Amino acid sequence: MSKAKNFSVVGKRVQRVEGFDKVTGDSKFIADIHLPGMLTGRILRSPYPHARIRSIDTSKAEKLRGVRAVVTAEDTIKRPWGAFFADQYILSVGKTRYVGEEVAAVAAIDPDIAEEALDLIEVDWEPLPGVFDADEAMLDGAPLVHDDKPNNIAMHLDLERGNIVQAFADSDIIVEDTFTSMPQWHCAIETIGSVAEYSPNGKYTIYMNTQTLFNARYRIATALGVPETDVRVIQSAVGGGFGGKSCDDNNALVCAVLARKAGKPVRVINTREEEFLAGCRPRVFMKINVKLGFKKDGRIRAKELKVIADNGAYSAKAPAITGVAAMRHDTCYKYSDVKLEAKLIYTNKIPTGAFRGFGNPSAEWAVEQAIDLGAHALGIDPLEIARINAAETGYVSPHGNRVTSCELKQCLDMVENMIDWKAKRANKQPNTGMGLACTVHVSGKRHFGDYDGSSATIKINEDGKALILSGEGECGQGVHTAMCQIAAEELGVPVEDVEISRADTDLTTFCLGAFASRLTYVSGNAVKNAATNVKQQLYEQAAEMLEANAADLISRDGRIFVQGAEGKSVTVADVARARLFRHNGAPIVGSGSFDADSVLPDSTRFGNESGAYNYGVQAAQVHVDPLTGQVKVLQMVVASDCGTVIYPIGAEGQVEGGLAQGIGYALTEGLQFDEGRPLNPNFSDYRIPSMRDMPPLQHAFADSYEPTGPFGAKGLGELNMDPTAAVINNAIFDAVGVRVKTLPITPEKILRALKEKKG
Amino acid sequence: MNKKIDFTLNGKAVSRDVPTHRLLLDLLRDEIGATGTKEGCGTGDCGACTVMMNGKPVNSCLILSGELAGADIVTIEGLKIGAELHAVQKAFVQDGGAQCGYCTPGMLMMSKALLDSNNNPSEEEIRYALSGNLCRCTGYAKIVQAVQDAAAMLRSKNP
Repeated sequence: MSKAKNFSVVGKRVQRVEGFDKVTGDSKFIADIHLPGMLTGRILRSPYPHARIRSIDTSKAEKLRGVRAVVTAEDTIKRPWGAFFADQYILSVGKTRYVGEEVAAVAAIDPDIAEEALDLIEVDWEPLPGVFDADEAMLDGAPLVHDDKPNNIAMHLDLERGNIVQAFADSDIIVEDTFTSMPQWHCAIETIGSVAEYSPNGKYTIYMNTQTLFNARYRIATALGVPETDVRVIQSAVGGGFGGKSCDDNNALVCAVLARKAGKPVRVINTREEEFLAGCRPRVFMKINVKLGFKKDGRIRAKELKVIADNGAYSAKAPAITGVAAMRHDTCYKYSDVKLEAKLIYTNKIPTGAFRGFGNPSAEWAVEQAIDLGAHALGIDPLEIARINAAETGYVSPHGNRVTSCELKQCLDMVENMIDWKAKRANKQPNTGMGLACTVHVSGKRHFGDYDGSSATIKINEDGKALILSGEGECGQGVHTAMCQIAAEELGVPVEDVEISRADTDLTTFCLGAFASRLTYVSGNAVKNAATNVKQQLYEQAAEMLEANAADLISRDGRIFVQGAEGKSVTVADVARARLFRHNGAPIVGSGSFDADSVLPDSTRFGNESGAYNYGVQAAQVHVDPLTGQVKVLQMVVASDCGTVIYPIGAEGQVEGGLAQGIGYALTEGLQFDEGRPLNPNFSDYRIPSMRDMPPLQHAFADSYEPTGPFGAKGLGELNMDPTAAVINNAIFDAVGVRVKTLPITPEKILRALKEKKG
Repeated sequence: MNKKIDFTLNGKAVSRDVPTHRLLLDLLRDEIGATGTKEGCGTGDCGACTVMMNGKPVNSCLILSGELAGADIVTIEGLKIGAELHAVQKAFVQDGGAQCGYCTPGMLMMSKALLDSNNNPSEEEIRYALSGNLCRCTGYAKIVQAVQDAAAMLRSKNP
């Protein structure tokens, strides 16, 4: 029997609510916002990876005609800020710690003058020895990135569940290897930008293309030293986020400081080069040593992970990301005994941070290859190994993660059929191979204080249409459409009768924003609860009008009637007007909240971190040219368990887009550094997949229902970024018997490995 | 150096006194206020700023105002036919060809350029024609579908 349920709006192929504006050029992105008298801000960035600033002379820049403000750290309160550790400043205080760090800034009447003014700022630099490799950074005597962090250790996690020594002793075979991941940039086609204005009454109004408004407001207020109420963040349309627009950078802060000093609105938009140097915080890169013990029958008996993660110069969200890399995958398979040690290390490079997957792509790159090593060592089909160990509904991980729905085994069946796994394996062609990997992700994560919730307000307009006010972060993924569908389903109105506002910290209630694949699940539940509240108000008024009991009413297609007596009905518009235009009238408006039934992990990181877990499987067939090392992905198949699919076109887009980023991560993307200086900060040398780089793809959603989700839904956004690199490398190994251990998997590395294999 | 530049924008005559080094992209967005055209990289690598110049798609971040004398420029603002969406716009809405929508204006202009010369492109031809337009959200599957559907709409109108 199907687990999925039938709904009238949820699960239907509705069109995106902002679809029209997106195809006409009318969507207002950050660079499209123009305030009267607005100035252009530009930022002077550190050319050195590590240097002391002896002095800064801005006098020549200030005198340039058309310059309205020049700012340095002296124009700030020099209070450090950061998502988890307060370790970065708006503008460098005393020294700079990476190439691209913000040192000073200018606001001028046009971009050419602003650029010219930057050249007139004189900085007296004293270059310092830097440290660029995490292993070297830990050595005694290595230069310190922050004086108060001995051996450059930002975080050290060391814990064991069960008895790891006994578990390895019990194992029939043990596999072990080390895999290194690379920094990956978000490369949203729109860069980070802000437009700020400052009112003499003390209030900052900042337009931002952020995906996490209230987190942005909190961090901006902290760094500026003002109460949160004095900062209003208004979200523009957001041209892609992927974690990069979650406010760990200084763009909006510099913009705000310039606006205050200039007394005029200021716009600061990152160039593409700035975006690579100091905009989005790229994926934390890690060296992961993984050791797995298996029983002869394929069951995993023991797992030990050692992670060394490169934090860069400031820590942003890397502490949480490193924890995820060390632990999240333990919710994918049925593990009993695990040990992990993770070190997060400061270096003089760009701060790393949140990117779709949040540590999981590095972890799955390593662990899913170790599973494949185990399958080959045991002579068991990799698909069978996954099936033997796959998590199921009811599984509780060694870290306390409680799985309330899991269709991982169903996903394995789907992938097996879609790619014709058995027949293709039986009929293996030379230099052609197949690989697969499983993946798990969360639907929200409890780590910003003891809260993983959301809230929403819905008001019914006089014409009967509903408006959702939400402070969550639509950043292109389509969650606004899903929220409109959820509200329409609960209210019993057509989806065309529901609109949703953009987020604005002055007008919408507290929301954490877009991260951790949380919005459909967490904010979907909040919107559903708000709709239930509003529906109750509608029913009470309608009951009076229909001379019935509110409890007997139902609504469908915007009409409210007694169940079974559809002939006599009132419209939502009739009801809204009747409630408003009367003695003691009031508008129909209601709010709803939701906080996931998760637990803030304790000091040993034990505790159910999320309200629900989503699962998936990917498989690939590849061909490797042994003469050139070139990899051609012949086919990819994907099965995803995200519970009920609310907005199918959007959900499919998340799978297809996540996979494209996974393919880039696997095969082409990686910023090259020389002594901390990025060598390829542009789109011609940092290659993200183009339309011609995408393989034929088939994908499908599991029949699934999450009992705690809105209409059975859970998260999806990050799931299909996570395993792709391992999938492709497992397939390459099956094809030619070599395994490249560092990302990206380039033809040069494959050729080298093939040569080494030949001897 | 400023120079008076006369050209046609979306069918209307435009005359502007601008520095000759001003990029077409900045001229459109900052001077004329036609902000539908987007900047993604500024180096001609991503295609977000694609517009039609004399019937051919160009990266407007690589065109100087000094090159514009007498040119016929069509931007996303000129893609609609009256109040009606162009077939490729309709198909992008219907098929979910836009996620964040930032690459979309450039992607639509390049798609129009393809469909103007070939109203029945193969998938291979679509992928080749649009390979200079980067999208980080969609994985391109729905864009390919939308261009195919737009081509079918155009063929049914003008068989």
